[in-house]
Amino acid sequence: MQNRPSGFGNPRLQLGLSVACVFVSELLLKRGANEVAAPDDAASWIGINGLASPLVWWAILLIIASFISWLYVLRYIPLNVAYPLSRVVDILVPLGCWLFLGELISTLRWCGIALVIIGLALVAKPIARMEERL
Amino acid sequence: MSFLAFFFIVVSLVTFVAAQLILKRAMEFSATNGMRNAYFISRVAIGVVLMTVSFFLTLGLLQRFDLSYLYPFQGLSVIFITILAAVVLKEKLSARLTIGALLITVGIVLVSMS
Repeated sequence: MQNRPSGFGNPRLQLGLSVACVFVSELLLKRGANEVAAPDDAASWIGINGLASPLVWWAILLIIASFISWLYVLRYIPLNVAYPLSRVVDILVPLGCWLFLGELISTLRWCGIALVIIGLALVAKPIARMEERL
Repeated sequence: MSFLAFFFIVVSLVTFVAAQLILKRAMEFSATNGMRNAYFISRVAIGVVLMTVSFFLTLGLLQRFDLSYLYPFQGLSVIFITILAAVVLKEKLSARLTIGALLITVGIVLVSMS
């Protein structure tokens, strides 16, 4: 690992910001999609009608911001360390759905989400190593 | 869930994983060969197109399903990478990977039933 900058350039802070941007962008995308939802229109499967929602544009900006800070993080922290840490977003998103989007999550779905999170936590390191080599 | 929805979920994840790997290759190539060449530009263009396809398909899916329902399907991307690594790198599955992939699969099945 190289010398780590401090302050706003601190890679761990940037990793946190990257995760926060992904988390908020997921919630904004869902809210934006709800605003323009046209499930009876077959063309809406392609999703382009989503661009009519300002929330979707905010989400796009956050996705770009998360991508930039992620690239910055990878200059200082190896992928097989940064990637498993970044997966905390897998816990935040379902909680955000429940707390901020008011989604009714059944016990069955919570169990499924928990298994996926445990599975992802188990494979995060080997997957990051594989991705580096692919 | 309809077959169409599952199809779009798989396509959006496959395009996303493919885009990530293509962009990574392009960036590695640019480190030694620079960015002003047809190979780099074409790979970045393909990566961006695939990312865009994945993004809009997700946006279409979000109009129809809860985020708490769709999000766990992202675990499938891990399965794709594992399969790809097994085929391309001839990587053997460790016990940890196998158990993780199984948990993710069972979790996704439970979510899809909910």
